[in-house]
Amino acid sequence: MKCIITIELGTNAVRIFAFDLNGIAIGSMKGYYPTFHTQPDYSEQDPEQIFITMLYVFKNLLNEKIHPKKYKVASVCFSSSMHSTLAVDKHGIPLGNAYTWADNRAKKEAIEIKESSIADAMYNCTGTPLHPMSPMLKIAWMKNNDQQKFQQAGKFLSIKSYVVHQLTGEYMIDYSLACASGMLNINTIAWEQEALHFAGITADKLPQLVPVFATAGTLKKAYQNSLGLSADTKILIGSSDGCLATLGAGIWNSDKATITIEDSSAVRVVGNKMLHDEKKRIFNYLITENCFVSGGPSNSGGGTFEWFAKQFGDFATAYDLESCMNSLLQEATKVPIGSGGLLFLPYLLGERAPIWNPDARGMFFGINIKHERQHFIRAVIEGILYEIYSIGKMLAEHRHISALSVNGSFATIPFCAQMIADMFNKPVHITKNSNSVSFGAFLLAATEMGIFKSLDEAAAQIEIADSYTPGENHHHTYMKYYGIFESLSNKLGDEFARIAELQ
Amino acid sequence: MNQFVLMQGSAEELSLFPHILELGVVKNSYVQLNALPKAVMTGVKFLYILDGKFHWHIHNSEYTLFPGDVALILPGQEFGSSSAVLEIGSFSFLHINADLKGTDEIILDKWSSLSGNEIIAISKILLLSNPLVITKLNEAGKILKSIQQELCNQEVGYYARVNNYIDELFILLTRQLTRQNNPGRDFHKTFMKLDEALRKDISHQWTVDEMAALAGLGNTLFNEKVKSYTGFTPLNYLINIRISEAIRLLKKPHISITDIALDTGFYSSQHFSTTFKKLTGFTPGEFRKNNSFTE
Repeated sequence: MKCIITIELGTNAVRIFAFDLNGIAIGSMKGYYPTFHTQPDYSEQDPEQIFITMLYVFKNLLNEKIHPKKYKVASVCFSSSMHSTLAVDKHGIPLGNAYTWADNRAKKEAIEIKESSIADAMYNCTGTPLHPMSPMLKIAWMKNNDQQKFQQAGKFLSIKSYVVHQLTGEYMIDYSLACASGMLNINTIAWEQEALHFAGITADKLPQLVPVFATAGTLKKAYQNSLGLSADTKILIGSSDGCLATLGAGIWNSDKATITIEDSSAVRVVGNKMLHDEKKRIFNYLITENCFVSGGPSNSGGGTFEWFAKQFGDFATAYDLESCMNSLLQEATKVPIGSGGLLFLPYLLGERAPIWNPDARGMFFGINIKHERQHFIRAVIEGILYEIYSIGKMLAEHRHISALSVNGSFATIPFCAQMIADMFNKPVHITKNSNSVSFGAFLLAATEMGIFKSLDEAAAQIEIADSYTPGENHHHTYMKYYGIFESLSNKLGDEFARIAELQ
Repeated sequence: MNQFVLMQGSAEELSLFPHILELGVVKNSYVQLNALPKAVMTGVKFLYILDGKFHWHIHNSEYTLFPGDVALILPGQEFGSSSAVLEIGSFSFLHINADLKGTDEIILDKWSSLSGNEIIAISKILLLSNPLVITKLNEAGKILKSIQQELCNQEVGYYARVNNYIDELFILLTRQLTRQNNPGRDFHKTFMKLDEALRKDISHQWTVDEMAALAGLGNTLFNEKVKSYTGFTPLNYLINIRISEAIRLLKKPHISITDIALDTGFYSSQHFSTTFKKLTGFTPGEFRKNNSFTE
């Protein structure tokens, strides 16, 4: 029996799944690795620990779930979080830690390019908002602030490219992850000279560009032995977590959108052309030729609610964070829509889409003497989801959306899923596979094997487990509050900048 | 309680207790200049604030202590007032004789009934904790008072009791410190602190007991929480950090494999080699050969 392994190099952990060829999960394991915040805007990870953790989890999964049942691993498909940047020397040895997507050190570089004459042209050819998350800007930061490292660097890799290089010796990056670097011209599918110029590098400093279905070389002999895999096990380069979560949610060339809410969140659509947003707010990731995943990411999400629970939850009766969050959710249901006119802006970590303001900060607005604890709880949840709605609204300026598929631990909480349906006034579906990134990677690998003719056909396989229909008039009620939420978010630009300066 | 001080050498009550250097209650009713200059501590000192408010410098940091707070000063740490002033107020204190073995173990003599491993774990936590000020710990004040009473009344069994109380103080402070430093609602934060402590001292032969104590949890709960948070048992997570560090060192040509093994906390180069090979498929030597480059 053959099986497919998917390896997701996520923000905090590696998650490895094994699927049989029918898409049934036959095993999964995760391994955590830490993120280091040595300075306020810094967010780094140790590439060696990520690699060794991946190897350890992979080996355990194979030894416990795959080899004993005599499964033969047909292919291993990778996915990873976006925007990571790692400089390695000419021999491939890391020069310090990798910068993660959350690293904001390149703020100055971001402002410089945004205000330059090439900003519009750059967005039009790369399809990616100009933000410090972009590896192009992180490399430019290195050029401006860490000359020694910059000079010594033989290549600038993503975490995924590094891990794959360790396993096979090849330097590769797929189109979709390359888009997230801000340096890929999505019209010509080649590195964009202007972007490379801004970063201060030439194309030979970047890994080789390949389609998502590409085989990334052969597993090194020693790893074949230690993992018990044969030389013909295909190592597929795969894609990014965002693109695969979209595929895994079954949103492919349709008029649906997908909403992912874990710690942070994103709303995405898929189509055959780039969405040219005048305000440069929408990302566009090329997954295969003429197929784009477009959308907007938010820094708020389940992490925001977790913050609230930690600060204001009742830990006298709750035995851990999860049970505390559950009882908060219970309390929130007792309050009617709109939280009695209490609004919450969820910008604790600054915000990306749609306002793209790293200085944005959170707030409660409209507090009156009648508000109780439970109003605040519900307001936080509503605030997080108004923000999701605002991204959806931005996408709807470009594309008609008829239904939503939600995934991620926060979005799939029934109370939240219903609230999303009510706010958007559209039916919401939850798919059967709770881990849509891994399932997306499975669909990609299965398509590569010829099990499905195309990604469209693969996406059509997704089964729906649960559906929520919008309540009558709820949308109308939410929109009264949303209007104020939106104008506050836009109005406070100056005050956000001033308070951020003081923090 | 009135002011009094028992001092080793002069106080009859302490003749059976050579490890107690000094104990008593200080009541200070006017500001005394130059009465409390900063000085490096020999031995271990417990201070419990009864009254007033004190601004003290303890081991690189400034603290303000209020009634009910406890300060603990360990051998080699600086203690005193930055302006050398003894402020108005009162506190009780106990100063015992104890040295450091190496940099990370407090030696308690035979009077203590704590086991060797317990002392190592307690030392580790106390020496890694910063601040060494514990807020609102009335139990510590009660124990200090009990020690004073036992010494004055000298009823039967008082020798054992006094020593037990000192052990009890160490245990109480250690437990309270880990609780204070690791609020239960945020395991992520607790784990990040533990991760940092492990990395800082990766050559140490960490035990699960020590790690659990640092996280302020019992062993069973600690194991369970780490497993669900990281996917690994605590010891296997530690192996991840060790091997990652070893890989980094192996990629540098000038450090011997034996040194790398010991620096990263393996018992021997053999132990390192087996673990490394099991995980990566390479022996450390092979791995180095594949990753070494001559210019």
